[in-house]
Amino acid sequence: MKKQAMFLTAIAAVALLVYSCGSGTPPPAADAPAADSSMTAPAQASSQTPTDETKGMGKFAEVKLTDPLDQTMVTSGKSTYEVKCAACHKLSGEKLVGPGWKGVTERRKPEWIMNFVTNTDEMIDKDPAAQAMLQECMVRMPNQHLTDDEARHLLEYMRANDGKK
Amino acid sequence: MKRLSLMLGLVAATAAMQSCKMKTAATAVQGDAASKTYVAPGKYDEYYNFVSGGFNGQVSVYGLPSGRLLKVIPVFSVFPENGYGYSEETKAMLNTTNGSIPWDDQHHLDLSQTNGEQDGRWLFANANNTPRIARIDLTTFKTMEILQIPNSAGNHSSPFITENTEYVVAGTRFSVPLGSEDVPISSFKENFHSTASFISVDKNSGKMDIAFQIVLPGMNLDLSHAGKGPSHDWFFFSSYNTEQAYTLLEVNASQKDKDYIVAVNWKKAEEYAKAGKGKKVSAPYAHNTYDEHTQTATSVIENEVLLLDPKDCPDMVYMIPCPKSPHGCDIDPSGEYIVGSGKLAALIPVFSFSKITKAIGDKQFEGDFKGIPILKYESALYGEVQKPGLGPLHTEFDGRGNAYTSMFLSSEVVKWSLKDLKVLDRAPTYYSVGHLMIPGGDTKKPAGKYLVAYNKITKDRFLPTGPELAQSAQLYDISGDKMQLVLDYPTFGEPHYAQACAASLIKDKQVKFFDINKNKHSYVAMGEKNAKVVRQGNRVDVYMTAIRSHLTPDNIEGVYVGDEVYFHVTNLEQDWDIPHGFAIKNNPNAELLIMPGETVTLKFVPEKQGIYPFYCTDFCSALHQEMSGYLRVSPKGANVPLKFGTGETAETVAAK
Amino acid sequence: MKRLTKAGLISIPIVVLFLSTLWLAPMWRIDMRAPQYPDGLSMQIWINDVKGDVPIINGLNHYIGMKTIHRDDFREFVFMPIAIVLFMAGGVLVFLLKSKRAYYIWTAAFLVIALCSFTDFYLWEYNYGHNLDPNAPIKVPGMSYQPPLLGYKKLLNFEVLSQPDLAGWFYCAAGVVLTVITFYEWKKK
Repeated sequence: MKKQAMFLTAIAAVALLVYSCGSGTPPPAADAPAADSSMTAPAQASSQTPTDETKGMGKFAEVKLTDPLDQTMVTSGKSTYEVKCAACHKLSGEKLVGPGWKGVTERRKPEWIMNFVTNTDEMIDKDPAAQAMLQECMVRMPNQHLTDDEARHLLEYMRANDGKK
Repeated sequence: MKRLSLMLGLVAATAAMQSCKMKTAATAVQGDAASKTYVAPGKYDEYYNFVSGGFNGQVSVYGLPSGRLLKVIPVFSVFPENGYGYSEETKAMLNTTNGSIPWDDQHHLDLSQTNGEQDGRWLFANANNTPRIARIDLTTFKTMEILQIPNSAGNHSSPFITENTEYVVAGTRFSVPLGSEDVPISSFKENFHSTASFISVDKNSGKMDIAFQIVLPGMNLDLSHAGKGPSHDWFFFSSYNTEQAYTLLEVNASQKDKDYIVAVNWKKAEEYAKAGKGKKVSAPYAHNTYDEHTQTATSVIENEVLLLDPKDCPDMVYMIPCPKSPHGCDIDPSGEYIVGSGKLAALIPVFSFSKITKAIGDKQFEGDFKGIPILKYESALYGEVQKPGLGPLHTEFDGRGNAYTSMFLSSEVVKWSLKDLKVLDRAPTYYSVGHLMIPGGDTKKPAGKYLVAYNKITKDRFLPTGPELAQSAQLYDISGDKMQLVLDYPTFGEPHYAQACAASLIKDKQVKFFDINKNKHSYVAMGEKNAKVVRQGNRVDVYMTAIRSHLTPDNIEGVYVGDEVYFHVTNLEQDWDIPHGFAIKNNPNAELLIMPGETVTLKFVPEKQGIYPFYCTDFCSALHQEMSGYLRVSPKGANVPLKFGTGETAETVAAK
Repeated sequence: MKRLTKAGLISIPIVVLFLSTLWLAPMWRIDMRAPQYPDGLSMQIWINDVKGDVPIINGLNHYIGMKTIHRDDFREFVFMPIAIVLFMAGGVLVFLLKSKRAYYIWTAAFLVIALCSFTDFYLWEYNYGHNLDPNAPIKVPGMSYQPPLLGYKKLLNFEVLSQPDLAGWFYCAAGVVLTVITFYEWKKK
């Protein structure tokens, strides 16, 4: 319980940091002052958008890649894959619920991948590439609440899966 | 002739006009009521309102001021809707020394407090029929612990807490012999006792333990509340049937002009217990705990309680005379005033704590009740509210010096001033109000904005639904001088007492899903890779995973009639509000609802051979209808090897 | 022998007709209302029966120790119909005799019956409201529960209204007709 709370707080803190310059979407609730007996549900924080369209939207504007691969990251990424991703994604090119991962690091920029696995809902709602995948698969990818490190390690594992050394 | 016809006309006119009509109860609601309770789409309610479910054994959660039902928390009754009491993990929660009991009667609730203010950590609930107390965690809205109370019956004056949640109490509404001796009912006066149990609550974990039980003479303890501030060390129980009747109580327990408020100095009792003044006796009782890491409940039978006898513990218990079968026993926010609501009395006595302490010091006694000193009524009394109404039951406070008492017989809420005990306002209820509730109304800091009356009779308030009607709740705005009725809404089960707290106290502490990496369930399947089926003798364990939109494995063969099949379903999702369900054809049990990151187990013993489809019951995605699978059950002794499919697709089969 | 006028003669079948409604409609009603009985409770007293929400009223009254009401406890339900039938038969006799004096006696008889029945009703209400079981669960000091003979009264959480019902009004009308005609006959000596 304590740990969970810490974990959630951490996520909340990160979200707050991200929420640097809210813009764009109007808040969902009407502006009219309703009965003073209610509180507004928090509007979705709209996040910073990297300038490059192909990088998707989210907190990752620049991802430093390693050369050669960091094997600790690969191992850690593998275990995240097995628990949180393998149910829908194969390592081959074959589609299961979602597309297979073979070649994903060639198809997408690392920033796009990191943004998509951490900022899933906004990406599916706004990113053209993600929307195209949704139309193909018909199931919204769930947000599996990966930490930034988990996302980074997963990217490393994807690169290993695509034969990077 | 003319005269005659005139007379006839008169008679006809009177006959036509006949019978003056009774005036109807005005039920007008003022114009701005709607805006006061309207919570616009996309907005939140201001308060969480936890409402006892009475004979349904559960706790309902409503939003105030909208009166919308948000959730039913299963506590003392099985709940096939989510598998509570049916899943292998939760079965132990309903275990008692009399086996598993699928139902109880849940009357009162109390929110945990720190320094007399709500802290939003736990909610305590009593079970009246099979005496138990439950603790509900307010980050998950799950029942985490259920403790059985021995030497008790009709656990009604419960689960009220001291102002730092040091103790939660359980008092007996029905006196019974201690232990299990076989005695004639007519030996009530000698052999029957009421007990006031004090259950300690661990500051950090919330874990409950019976610290000691105070043994009192045979009578009925009805309700209770802890003192606060100056009266912090005391607990006050209302009592009736001090006539000690054991038959036709309706008449025989209503004879005396006064019963008692039982004042217990629990600090003293604590010291006596520490000093070894108590007597350890054997008394089996179940203690059930849900472990959040293994996500599994265990039931342990404890064997011993410590009894404290007032005879050996002077200065621990006093009796305060209180007119006619007091029901509610409520302490004002300052801790100075104790309000006893004599349900058969035509007045409301208000006692003063400082006068009580003085009376004890000056030995202002008027005899004793089975050895327990009785204070003089006048020496403990602050004053009486005259002509408040009929059938006073419960009192809550608004923090502005006013008290609000529910009047069952005259069906109204009466507002009166603590200072001069004058009635200030009355509001009718529809109909026959029992408990009432102000958010924080029994704490040091009430939020005196709303009051909810919980009514026993609904009659003509809603569209009729055959002979059984929902009980109703009514919301009043009490921020002004006059109480204003703003909303009527039906409730679930039979609400007795309720609690409410500001939404901000717990809203942001909600667990949204369980971190799968912290799942320590013995049968968790960490990812699809670990989904499997294992046979040991005639026990078959299915380690199954669920994610939008498939179950793994979804084809299982090699299971025989009479096998004990355990489906351990792990929900691999890691997002809020994506539960999966699990049900299998002809299972004489319930379904499961599995929250993200959780593992829950359904036991299934097939009695006939055949193909049994299983599927997800909670609509989870566009492909929810596809989220299903088959279990093949073969006749006993058939030679079908154990096989399970793990989501093979046409392509991979072809590749093989 | 002074003979009745035409009006007097005609009044006799009218009175008899009015009284015969006692077998067709209730003569008295007592209505009660309390918050938890929004539709109210009511009890109708007929010449030979008591009807309405009597079982519910009995159930309520036991809390305050009032006796329960049962048709068989009322000897009035036997005597009243007999008295009224005899009175109506008397009307036939007066009609045949066509005598003023007989008419006066007949009116007097009616007034005696009316007075007796009202007195009886009052005494019954008094007993019913005061003669309480000392062991009742709810005892309000100094409180009695005598329903009003006629009109409105508040008893604890109940409001009670007592008044004639349809046949009661006809009964009263019969009394009015008798009295008015008697004066008329007297004047027309």
